[in-house]
Amino acid sequence: MRIIRKSWTDPGLLLATLPLTAIMAFFFLIPLVMTALLSFQGTQYYRLIWTWSSDTWVDVFTHWHYWSIIIRTLTMALICVVLCVLISLPVSYAMVHRVRSLENHITILIVFAFLTDAVLKTFGWVLFLDRTGVMNGALSALGFGPQATDILFTPVATMLGMVYNLLPYTIFCIYLSMKRIDRDLMLAAYDAGASRFRTFWEITLPLARPGIFAGAILVFVLALGVFLEPKVMGGGTSPMAAELIRQTFETRVNWPLGAALTLVIIVIGTATLAVAGLAAHRATKAAAESTE
Amino acid sequence: MTHPKKHLTDRRSVLRGGAAALGAAALGGIASRAHAATDMRYMCWEGYDKPSILDPFEAANDANVAVDLITDSAGGFAKLAAGGYRDFDVVSSDSPWIARMGPAGICDYLDDAEFADVYDDFYPQFRAPFAPLQYEGQTTGLPTRWGWVGPTVNTNFDKVETWASYDPCFDPAYRDKICVLDWGDWPIMPMALHAGIDPYQELGDAELKEIRMVLRALFKNTRALVGDLSVAQKGLMDGSFRALIGGGSYCTSALRKDGQDHILSIVPEPKNGLKQGIIWMEATGILKDTDNPELSKKLVKHMVSPDVAVELAWTEATCNLVPSQAAEAKFTDEQKSALQMDYMWEAWEKSHFHSVAPNIDDMLAIFQEELAASN
Repeated sequence: MRIIRKSWTDPGLLLATLPLTAIMAFFFLIPLVMTALLSFQGTQYYRLIWTWSSDTWVDVFTHWHYWSIIIRTLTMALICVVLCVLISLPVSYAMVHRVRSLENHITILIVFAFLTDAVLKTFGWVLFLDRTGVMNGALSALGFGPQATDILFTPVATMLGMVYNLLPYTIFCIYLSMKRIDRDLMLAAYDAGASRFRTFWEITLPLARPGIFAGAILVFVLALGVFLEPKVMGGGTSPMAAELIRQTFETRVNWPLGAALTLVIIVIGTATLAVAGLAAHRATKAAAESTE
Repeated sequence: MTHPKKHLTDRRSVLRGGAAALGAAALGGIASRAHAATDMRYMCWEGYDKPSILDPFEAANDANVAVDLITDSAGGFAKLAAGGYRDFDVVSSDSPWIARMGPAGICDYLDDAEFADVYDDFYPQFRAPFAPLQYEGQTTGLPTRWGWVGPTVNTNFDKVETWASYDPCFDPAYRDKICVLDWGDWPIMPMALHAGIDPYQELGDAELKEIRMVLRALFKNTRALVGDLSVAQKGLMDGSFRALIGGGSYCTSALRKDGQDHILSIVPEPKNGLKQGIIWMEATGILKDTDNPELSKKLVKHMVSPDVAVELAWTEATCNLVPSQAAEAKFTDEQKSALQMDYMWEAWEKSHFHSVAPNIDDMLAIFQEELAASN
């Protein structure tokens, strides 16, 4: 099959993408522009005052705590991405190569967990991790003392919840990517004397890279906006960006500030993705050149 | 001057237009129609929408009341302030927000004389002119439920006397054992009072700095900032939270309703001449330019009538006091105990009435900053 590369100026392509472009423009760009406009307005007596002022942006850039929360969010999101990828790689590899007979069962289980309401799962974790919860009860029965673990309402619990809720995204992306790898390539590597690890490192991992990137991007974007995990499992004392924005909109009723913080998160998220995308593109290009 | 609102297209006007068009079409071929019930929209907290409360009103007045539940007072206010008030007839929310709605042009002012019979049924503390709901002598809404904000404690773990002040919040012995309710300004006000500052007065930089310090100290002992009542109550029951701060009787009565008499909400003793408790109240107001002014007044009167007051006090999620003195005799002893009715006037005497604090935005910003810096 021959893949025909089309220019973005191709009239047929433009026409085909027109409906999606129109939908995106209407439901994404216009609200985004309105959010940007909102950030230049003011509030008085908890009501929006239509004026033009940069006070909100001055507020954003002169208050360290907004940035500390944003940095915490970015850090947590990046750690979450790394953990999700590290966990998903062996799981996906095992699903494709080691437990193929159970592949469908595992897939169904993951889908089932994925489709279960996040609120339900998150509150379930509270009952599990609580000082008087299931985990401590089990550890106590094994002789580890009455409160062997105390991670509920800590950033560790937040991370646990984030990884648990977002893991299916990386598992499925990497699994699909690995499943498409030609098994003959791996067999050839084994025939050439490569160990399992070297085969994984030099064949499987590079060829699974698109899935890893796709999963990582999905998890990163979703992790930037997590709300339930830091609030419910983290105990709210280490707020992340979504909670900061909620507090600003709802509790402080400061919509311009909430809009400005939303834009900051969007810009930082987009910039991070652009840098990651560029790095991935260069890595792929370098790998392709080295094999030529 | 023409009211700017008259130029706006809103849901009601669209519905009116649609209804008129349909009506005109119907006149062409149909001679008569059954009488249609009046549609109303009611924004309220959970509990106000109980079928046992709204069904009798709907039946008596041939009305359909569509309910839109509030999840937080500020959010409800913001929704109405953003233009949503055009779509609603009646609103029940926290009293400082209802009080704001009159001067903000969201709610109609009420004529106290029209509600004289209702006020007669109230405890003297809530009778007209009722200052917390007044602005320049005009009243916005009627009080519907109330309670107090003070430490909520489990007496299986702590003596009530321990919480005669907020000192344990800052005691290293209580590190990681305090739960702060994430309910807007409720946890801030008691802490300001503990610091010797009346948060309901205009505050200067020095006072705001003091509030910052006390919140910083509070967060050192805070295990969790919880918005969800069930998580807070569970922690209190199993002892992982030794006190809930910023919740008060709202957190208590549903547990006491289930027989957990060892759960109490109390008000600390006055400190440095300042009362340490907060009286919170919910109120019900009529939205500006409602299509159904008379029916809206009827709904407000219905919500504060003695029989409905008992229903409103005793809901699935929370149980709270009501301003209706006439309702008191209708409560059973068990209900009175769950509501801590024997303590309510002591709590009242030891408390400030929660109202619009002049520096609330500063205090909320400080709360947000100190929370961000706490971990």
